[in-house]
Amino acid sequence: MNLLDPKGEVRELLLGNEAIVRGALEAGVGFISCYPGTPSSEVPDTFFRLSARGSYYFEYAPNEKVAMETAGAAALGGVPTLVTMKHVGVNVAADPMMTLAYIGTPGGLVILSADDPGCHSSQNEQDNRYYARLAGLPCFEPSSAQECKDMAKEAMELSAKWQQPVLLRTTTRINHLRGPVDFGPMKPAKTRGEFKKDPGRFVPIPAVARIRHKVLTSNLENIRSEIENCSWNKSWGEGKVGVIASGVSRSYLKDVLKSNPAIKVKVLELGIAWPLPENTIKNFLKGLDKVVILEELEPILENDVRVLCQKNGLTLEVTGKGEELPLWDEYSTLCVEQALAKATGIEIKTQELCNPDLAALPSRPPNLCAGCSHRSVYVNTRKIFGDDAIYSSDIGCYTLGILPPLRSADFLLCMGSSVSSGCGMSRVVDNPVIAFIGDSTFFHSGVTGLINAVYNDYDLIVVILDNRTTAMTGHQPHPGVDQALYGLRPGNIEIEPLVKASGVQHVKKVKALNQKAVSTALEEFKEMKGVRVLIAEDPCPLYAKKVLGIKRTKVATIKTSGPASLECLNTLACPAFFKDGETVGVNQDACAGCMVCVQICDEIKPGSRS
Amino acid sequence: MKPLRVFFTGVGGQGTLTATKLLAETALDQGVEVNAGEIHGMAQRGGVVHSFVLLGGYASPKISLGEAHVLLGFEPMETLRALPFIAKDGLVLSSEDPVPPISVTTGREEYPSIDLVKSETLKCSPRAKFLPCLSLAKETGVVQTANTVLMGAFFSMGVLPFGLDILLESIEKRLKPKLVDVNLKAARLGAEYITRDK
Repeated sequence: MNLLDPKGEVRELLLGNEAIVRGALEAGVGFISCYPGTPSSEVPDTFFRLSARGSYYFEYAPNEKVAMETAGAAALGGVPTLVTMKHVGVNVAADPMMTLAYIGTPGGLVILSADDPGCHSSQNEQDNRYYARLAGLPCFEPSSAQECKDMAKEAMELSAKWQQPVLLRTTTRINHLRGPVDFGPMKPAKTRGEFKKDPGRFVPIPAVARIRHKVLTSNLENIRSEIENCSWNKSWGEGKVGVIASGVSRSYLKDVLKSNPAIKVKVLELGIAWPLPENTIKNFLKGLDKVVILEELEPILENDVRVLCQKNGLTLEVTGKGEELPLWDEYSTLCVEQALAKATGIEIKTQELCNPDLAALPSRPPNLCAGCSHRSVYVNTRKIFGDDAIYSSDIGCYTLGILPPLRSADFLLCMGSSVSSGCGMSRVVDNPVIAFIGDSTFFHSGVTGLINAVYNDYDLIVVILDNRTTAMTGHQPHPGVDQALYGLRPGNIEIEPLVKASGVQHVKKVKALNQKAVSTALEEFKEMKGVRVLIAEDPCPLYAKKVLGIKRTKVATIKTSGPASLECLNTLACPAFFKDGETVGVNQDACAGCMVCVQICDEIKPGSRS
Repeated sequence: MKPLRVFFTGVGGQGTLTATKLLAETALDQGVEVNAGEIHGMAQRGGVVHSFVLLGGYASPKISLGEAHVLLGFEPMETLRALPFIAKDGLVLSSEDPVPPISVTTGREEYPSIDLVKSETLKCSPRAKFLPCLSLAKETGVVQTANTVLMGAFFSMGVLPFGLDILLESIEKRLKPKLVDVNLKAARLGAEYITRDK
């Protein structure tokens, strides 16, 4: 597969996220910035992987706000630009995004928001179609890999044409589906532009902003007429019952209608539902007795349609959110089938399910990997502070420390929040408060919390779990990672001097896997007041193997299995350990050779890998 | 071809997603309409992975309860857990070698007996087959090929519109060169096991 093939004319099986990359390339994208976040990460990862051969400019930003600001300015400079993030990342980037819609983006700016209905890997399931309405962004919602490619391209073109930022809104299913994609020709990347100075437009002082708000609404009206008749918004089928569907619901609908020929409905597919194609919808509704709205999460289209009916004196029945079609989680062919059966009065034989008793089955939660340096720090911290301390957690692999026996996450708000919210907690309770934060997360927005902690004189221990990469989203670099590792200009930002420059008096840096070093530092901090920062550094074992090429030659071996090794198994919950009756074993294939167990248990010794 | 929904279930780190991608790419190469999807929650090893390959003209990237024509289980307890996804007359093909979760390895919970997994599965899918994927994979010298053992068995069962020879071609074409030989061997071992069992 050659995503950079300028000619196209091939058909490849692509991940939705890879298809977005191809679409942007076909439109001549010249500048891409991002902060990784599941399910969006493969978009920037693919650009990064191809960047040595591609002629675009790509970078990872420390957070979404920075990414949006950088990308916005590149678009102001006339370059077709893409900025990518997950749904909650848009919250971080919302400030510059709102104003970019006012001043406009001459080169074209597409904002990818990867939403996560079902919370597969997120802390909430917010519906970012609201952002399209809030900010005034035309919004594309693909439902297949081919549409990911085609819409990414069209969104870039529409954005450049109207000089307005455009939202490409996907969901986890779409980002992570694989489907055939026909490639089109690729425009040469436009990496250099020209900024035409116009302070009366680009400097939104109040007098300018007032005018630009009106320009935005009038631009959206123009775009509305353009999308009324576009090929993404199309009607087909016959019947007195209508169905309006957006996003992935369009795919579920097609499969349901195919497998239930008795269900006769008239369908309106909306690939671009904002600005609302009012005439298209109005014409569709005429002559219908009833309309069902299929959209995951919020009843946004449903409410739009209700308003449209009221404005136009239409009295047909509008149904949407309810028992079959909930406000949470993903839709499926199953729920769409039930909703349509109800609306059309057609009885559908429900599938008999196999229902073995699954209640007693052991659950399988994700666990920190064998050899993970976070486990080492958590075990040590709990040994010293126990249940007395309150543990402020953050977004990353280390959030998995929530589970017993580690139990090192008591509360969590969002990415980069652990330091600031740890401060708030420490001022109102008597317990010691310990904030855990990762290295990427520290650069994302933890450092501003740290500056506040020092300035406002808080009592807080901050533990920076520095595993040298952005582990959870797939090992992307961040400002702390030396770019030379990727064959780029060498250089990185060290965390320790940054912490010191923020005014922290008590800073210690240790190897995270060294139990004695971690505990000495924490014991010392326990007796102090003020802001104390422990940097616990050791690379993520998967990253160490894959990127750094580190081979650990040692393996843990149980010398004699007694109460101590049993206790070690229960303390660490390392996936390489297993209990066999009353004895403990170590699975050599799974052991990563971190040797934390050897440091805390006399019955375990280092051995050589066989 | 008759449309076919194939549901994959396994544990993070087992190569379930590699197998999913291999089947989907093979279908594309063979001119079969294909759509695939994957859900792997948080990108950590050890959690449950579900993925989907939809052959013969489906638009949805997902399989609902009662819709899977084939359930490929890369781990027996996860096969048991996924049985509600099986359609009436669906086929189950599963590994019988457990990958115990942390609650089991620490002795807090008990892994269900393989006999129970098999009997419950046979109730849902009387044609169900189980294979010792890990022990067969060990014969190749690379235990990580257990996923390919299962795929070898699947391709030689006559359910797909293409057979083992096509899988072998795909392995040569799609996998990294250093992984080709062991995976060819693994696929053949799975195929031999399942056809001998007939």
